[in-house]
Amino acid sequence: MFGGLKERLQAARNRLSSSIGAVVATPVAEPVVPHLPPAAGTTEPEKTAAPGFVEKVKVLVLERELIVSDKNIAEALSELEMTLLESDVALPVTDAIIISVRKNLVGRHRKIGESVDAMVVSALKSALLEVLGKGFDLKEYINTHPRPVKILFTGVNGTGKTTSVAKIGSYLHKQGFSVVIGAGDTYRAGAIEQIAVHAERIGIKVIQHQEGADPSAVLFDTVQYAISHKIDVVLADTAGRFHTKSNLMNQLDKIKRVMKPDLVIYVDEAVAGNDAVIRAAEFDRTVGADAIVLTKADMDSRGGAAISIAHTIGKPLMFLGVGQSYDDIIPFDPAGVVDELLDGA
Amino acid sequence: MLDNLSSSLKDALKKLAGKTVVDRAAVDELVKDLQRALISADVNVKLVMELSKAVRTRSLDEQLPKGTNVREHVLRIVYQELVRLVWASTEVRLEPQTILMAGLQGSGKTTTTAKLARYFQKKGMKVAVICADTFRPGAYDQLNTLCTKIHVPCFGNPAEKDALKITREGLVALKDHELIIVDTQGRHALEADLIQEIIDLNIITKATHRWLVIDAALGQQASEQAKRFHEAIGIDGVIITKMDGTAKGGGAMSAVAETKSGIAFIGAGETIDDLERFDADGFISRMLGMGDLKALYEKATEAINAEDVDMNAMMKGKFTLRDMYKQLEALNKMGPLKQIMGMLPLGNMELPDGVYDVTSTKMLRYRIIMDSMTPKELDEPTLINSSRMSRIAHGSGAKPDEVRELLKYFKTMQRTLKGLRGAGAGGGKFNMQRLMKRFSGQQ
Ligand SMILES: Nc1nc2c(ncn2[C@@H]2O[C@H](COP(=O)(O)OP(=O)(O)OP(=O)(O)O)[C@@H](O)[C@H]2O)c(=O)[nH]1
Ligand SMILES: Nc1nc2c(ncn2[C@@H]2O[C@H](COP(=O)(O)OP(=O)(O)OP(=O)(O)O)[C@@H](O)[C@H]2O)c(=O)[nH]1
Ligand SMILES: [Mg+2]
Ligand SMILES: [Mg+2]
Repeated sequence: MFGGLKERLQAARNRLSSSIGAVVATPVAEPVVPHLPPAAGTTEPEKTAAPGFVEKVKVLVLERELIVSDKNIAEALSELEMTLLESDVALPVTDAIIISVRKNLVGRHRKIGESVDAMVVSALKSALLEVLGKGFDLKEYINTHPRPVKILFTGVNGTGKTTSVAKIGSYLHKQGFSVVIGAGDTYRAGAIEQIAVHAERIGIKVIQHQEGADPSAVLFDTVQYAISHKIDVVLADTAGRFHTKSNLMNQLDKIKRVMKPDLVIYVDEAVAGNDAVIRAAEFDRTVGADAIVLTKADMDSRGGAAISIAHTIGKPLMFLGVGQSYDDIIPFDPAGVVDELLDGA
Repeated sequence: MLDNLSSSLKDALKKLAGKTVVDRAAVDELVKDLQRALISADVNVKLVMELSKAVRTRSLDEQLPKGTNVREHVLRIVYQELVRLVWASTEVRLEPQTILMAGLQGSGKTTTTAKLARYFQKKGMKVAVICADTFRPGAYDQLNTLCTKIHVPCFGNPAEKDALKITREGLVALKDHELIIVDTQGRHALEADLIQEIIDLNIITKATHRWLVIDAALGQQASEQAKRFHEAIGIDGVIITKMDGTAKGGGAMSAVAETKSGIAFIGAGETIDDLERFDADGFISRMLGMGDLKALYEKATEAINAEDVDMNAMMKGKFTLRDMYKQLEALNKMGPLKQIMGMLPLGNMELPDGVYDVTSTKMLRYRIIMDSMTPKELDEPTLINSSRMSRIAHGSGAKPDEVRELLKYFKTMQRTLKGLRGAGAGGGKFNMQRLMKRFSGQQ
């Protein structure tokens, strides 16, 4: 993931740099005005000696300040906007990023010595980092909290909750934690069989009831099992549901009351478009979300959903799902991603 | 957010409403709002740009048809251009065939396979399914559970790892079935082995149809994914799933453009009956958040059927006050008039806000008045002379003039229905728009 976005951001960045660069290349003929002497008491420490004539010229030519105007970058910004939209960054989020980049650049005094590219990169970087926030270190969380750490997985239909439960179970298992899975999807046909097969393959105990049973009861039993067997982590799968169905959302509420999760993880897919922000916001509002897992990032997605969701609910991205094997999961590191997106000239 | 969007689109349209000369700036503003609405609905960005360019050019170049205002003119163009995108209809025939299901992981193939089995079974066909998903844990259990409930045979073997082998065996085992649906595992464009697998499945099944199942929430990836599937097996229809959420299905529109096919079905729920044939009007209206004539019609027909209005009698000219009472009740069930108006395309009627209240109040008044009539009067309205009229007025706390107005309204309704019959219009859908106009006092 992010490969496509990276390429496109690179283009947008070049474009922005050259728009600003063009301003530099055609400087307005200005009369040479001598520097005003600093007001009394504000002498700059570095400039103790009075500058000679040559120094003065150097300052005027090389450090003359340049003001970036809205007009300079309008076209480049609209290109950046297209890039973000084509990468599935939701419209309102795209608007926010553009505003932030514009605010960062327009009216800024740029010294000729400063590289245009560096300036653009830092504007884009801070806009993206602002959006992505910090990651979430699950291992660290488990290590610093009383056991069992109970984790509830939620999200709309088919996004990859069950598979992510299996992947994270396998990940934690390999890190030396003991794990039990609760088969909390008692609704969808084949759901219990699905999680049971996964659990068996990765060698993790699964607690299950019959199809149609009360999911709260299954998950309650799972927690009890974890307590009595001194298990480190409870991973609770749930049925997919739409945020628009209040009965199903109430059911999640009940699950929460009964199993009292330490973490609620919202699972969505990297290929989701604008709806990603709407449903993430609804889930966050109704059942809450402490962190996000974004799946299907292997589908050549440009990663816009990551940016959209993180920006909308302001919760950290914990893992990226990048395939259907148990190892296809990577802890998310925003700074790394942003660096990677914007590295190389 | 989407509400804001569609209302800004509506505002932009409103600006064009009173105009009789096309205003460049207003058209530009509208085109910009249209772009934003479509992009928010996940239509491919390039497609949106092409489409909005066409709308702009046509709006400015084409002559304003006589008797239309600029808003109607532009709205018609917007609508035409959008319909063109999803226009290709995917004919669904009730004849022997094999349908191959394809799509991304988790898009809804298995659920839709069962829904389709149900759909064709209800149409009287002998249906069976094959589970060719040998990868996903529980895939066979899932499909088998769904099919068992509707008594449709499901061929598969969770222990087998070779999808081609299962499919070959299944085709033999199910050869006396008319319609076979092959469910496959999820895959995406970059998985070369799996793309090859579906190419092979298409060859051995000699599939009549290859339908691409698309999640309504799929974003800008839709075009590229659809393109790869199309190159591989020649997609000839798209099914949009999960339309019961808030996603608008623009990705499916991109997929249709990419495969030059049409949308066959819409899935809107998790249960087996939640499958509908595609309807362009409804889809586009929902996408733009701008009202839905079709939905109104269906809702109206449904409400009326529920009340057992004797359409046949009505069409024969035997339309009594009793029938009208039922109609009013049906309308009332459909919700506040304002909401009903929202479902109509903005084209021909936009009423000042106050009117809605007056008219729904009037509907209520009419019903109260009719509650004071005797069964005989309801069946034979001609019986109502002036003395009966004052009795009814007294009983319902209305003025005699209101009773007169009601009877006048009844007569126009009766005439309208006669007119319908004369024009040979069948189907029992009375003219909702005219009815609305009458309620709102426009006619
Ligand atoms: N390519 C890819 N496929 C994935 C990924 N994660 C999950 N899947 C696949 O997506 C499909 C749906 O995954 P599930 O785990 O069943 O999704 P779910 O959210 O539990 O679905 P419901 O319980 O039905 O709502 C399966 O075929 C998974 O193998 C991923 O990161 N990449
Ligand atoms: N609300 C709603 N849920 C749906 C609809 N169609 C499918 N689903 C749900 O979406 C999830 C995924 O559906 P599946 O039929 O398992 O998807 P699939 O494409 O077969 O998945 P894979 O075989 O893993 O690729 C399940 O939870 C379904 O119940 C729909 O129209 N509305
Ligand atoms: Mg699941
Ligand atoms: Mg399936």
